[in-house]
Amino acid sequence: MTNGLILAIIGAAIASLLAGIGSAKGVGLVGEAAAGVVSVDPSKFSKVLVLELLPGTQGLYGLLISFIILTRTGLLSGNPAELSVTQGLAFLIGALPIGIVGLLSALAQGRTAAAGVGITAKKPEHNSKGIIMAAMVETYAILALLISVLIINNIAV
Amino acid sequence: MAKLKMKKIELIALLTDSKKIIELLQRRGVVEICENKDDDLPGANVSAVIAKFEKFRGTAAQALEISEKYAPEKAGLSSMLEGRKELETDELGRDAVKLEETMNISREIIASQKAIADAQSSAAQITVRCDMLKQWEKLDVPMNFKGTSTTSAFIGTVPYAVTGSELEQQLPDTCSAEVISSSKDQTNLFILCGKSVADEASDTLRRLNFVPLTEAEPRTPSELLDGYKTQLHELEKSSEKARQRIVELAENREMIKFVIDYLQMRKDKYEVLSSLGFTANTFVLTGYIPEKCTEPIKKEIESKYKAAIFITDPAEDEDVPVLLENSKFSEPVEAITKMYALPSKKDVDPTPVMSFFYYLFFGMMLSDAGYGLLMVIGTTLALKKLNLENSMKKTLVMFRNCGISTVFWGTLFGSWFGDIVQTVAREFFDKEIGSVALWFEPINDPIKLLLYSFGLGILHLFLGIAVSFKMSWDDGRKLDAVLDTVPVYLTVLGVAPLGASIFTDVPSSLKTIGSYVMIVGVVLIILTAGRSSKNIFARFFGGVYALYNTATGYLSDILSYSRLLALGLATGSIASVINLMAVMPENKIIKLIMFIVVGIVGHTANLAINLLGAYVHTDRLQFVEFFSKFYTGGGKEFEPLTVNTKYIKLKEENSND
Repeated sequence: MTNGLILAIIGAAIASLLAGIGSAKGVGLVGEAAAGVVSVDPSKFSKVLVLELLPGTQGLYGLLISFIILTRTGLLSGNPAELSVTQGLAFLIGALPIGIVGLLSALAQGRTAAAGVGITAKKPEHNSKGIIMAAMVETYAILALLISVLIINNIAV
Repeated sequence: MAKLKMKKIELIALLTDSKKIIELLQRRGVVEICENKDDDLPGANVSAVIAKFEKFRGTAAQALEISEKYAPEKAGLSSMLEGRKELETDELGRDAVKLEETMNISREIIASQKAIADAQSSAAQITVRCDMLKQWEKLDVPMNFKGTSTTSAFIGTVPYAVTGSELEQQLPDTCSAEVISSSKDQTNLFILCGKSVADEASDTLRRLNFVPLTEAEPRTPSELLDGYKTQLHELEKSSEKARQRIVELAENREMIKFVIDYLQMRKDKYEVLSSLGFTANTFVLTGYIPEKCTEPIKKEIESKYKAAIFITDPAEDEDVPVLLENSKFSEPVEAITKMYALPSKKDVDPTPVMSFFYYLFFGMMLSDAGYGLLMVIGTTLALKKLNLENSMKKTLVMFRNCGISTVFWGTLFGSWFGDIVQTVAREFFDKEIGSVALWFEPINDPIKLLLYSFGLGILHLFLGIAVSFKMSWDDGRKLDAVLDTVPVYLTVLGVAPLGASIFTDVPSSLKTIGSYVMIVGVVLIILTAGRSSKNIFARFFGGVYALYNTATGYLSDILSYSRLLALGLATGSIASVINLMAVMPENKIIKLIMFIVVGIVGHTANLAINLLGAYVHTDRLQFVEFFSKFYTGGGKEFEPLTVNTKYIKLKEENSND
């Protein structure tokens, strides 16, 4: 196992770690607010559940990048590539956009979605507007995902 | 198409026909009634009647809620989607007669529930008392026992632990102390003394912090406890009986639901009456009505009743309510327009221009033929099998259309549940199948799809600008129409090849042409965008500022369409990851079982989350990027007087759809 491969594995770990932490915190934040609403009116469960799911996508994007790194470096198929330190570093850097932006955007999206839960509580018919507002935040996670995919896909192995 | 033209309706008829006419309008559901603003025509005071209906409705609703609690209705997934029960109109009269009976049933349900609540609270009180008495259970004299002719008895408690003999040492000789029960910080005692030393004993006891029991009960504790036990049993029996009665009465659930709806209709009708104007023998009703509905209503009312109906155009400054009507293709997307805002008076209905791109983008973001197929099958089945409300029907049709588009894109990109075709062939049949894409696989050439995404985005934005061009043009501001749109077209078109050359090879001739076109566009913007101000410098700086706004605005708008690629990639890649995990075991049989289990669970979750993603982000592209080019919104929804029922649907009610 070369040093380069270790760096790539660190990259794969970072993508899942940071984005996953962000999503867990974001979903948790919305969940707390949602539970409050459901305790008063259980029929709003499905509406707040959608809001709660929104900050969960960053974790998935992180997972996705981790998998792409693991597949590209051949770790999943059992014959890992002999990566140079430069290549490994490139993989590590490719993981950073979704890791860092995923973490921070999931937190911000969690706060926005939690505020959206307030809309659902007071004006359930405008629930979807809260969803759209939370989705605005997600744009930046998607952009980061895109850049991560483009970097990792274009590293010559 | 688009916004329906609204007319103003004014109806004058005999007072004696008022209720019948309003009932007719309610059934047809095509007229929104306006408040009578003419002070010369006094309104009717019907608040007492409305209050009565409200009260009855409240009673029935409460009874229904109680029935749900004690005898819950079985609810499945299909019944959640399913609409209200349909009812022939002639059933309305027959069932309505049962109002009194239903109200009695409702009152009995409420009374039974009260009986249960009362029994429960009495039982709770008795239980508390029993807990207290349990401490004295061993006492075999009546609780108010004060002694015999020669003895005095003290029954009470000291706030510490003590034994009988310890206490006897402190008391006069002839006293005996018996501990009835004790705990760490309390001892319940029965003390018997000779009459002669009673006063002395009493003083001593007071010093020992003895608290006498204040009970006037002439029975022993165990007798009392037995009595309470029977009482509790009886309470339980009576509350059980009341519960069974509620379950029995809950059989009338449908009738109660009907009455709730019936009363709601009556209430709505009377509320309309309160907003009418009256003279001694006639009433005046004004309202809005879609133009296409005017003739039938006019004919129907004028043939049945003595009434005069005037249809006029609404005044310029009136806030006319908005009702949308679109082709079969666009209609399902109306809900998305409504979610943003209904078109205001100046707006056109964006639904028809939006619908094609809506389906297109949705399919591109989900972009898996397998998932699309599931959507199409699921929605088609639901539409066929279930009795659905109109709004639910429209939503399902929208998702069906989106599903078709998803199948289209999925086939182009060769994604069927990710790479399930290749995986199955490789793992179970030892065959390598290459790509099944009709076009290309985005993961192999993301840049290509990125450029196509930007291209579609530019088309989408240009469509929005074209709508704004048409609006200004129709409004008579022809110069504005040209100057606000053409420079933007030129600039964006000119920059496009230069931008694309960052990612891919663009012929240099195209780049040269692009840069010239861009320069023309930029110059036009600087020269014309500030035309509203008189001062030449203000004009120039207005132009530069507009250029800055255009550049940053359109750049971020177009980049935003990269989500078309990213979300599509995410769906396909996660689906492939699921397949990869599903075939990890070596043993073929375990592999097959894992494949089925992990496949079903994983793909369901992936479909759910990406469906939400595609829906939300398609909405965003429409609302933020597209609508900002031409649409403001803020119209008032057309809310006709209609049969506003919760449980029952009248069959002829559909005339306004």
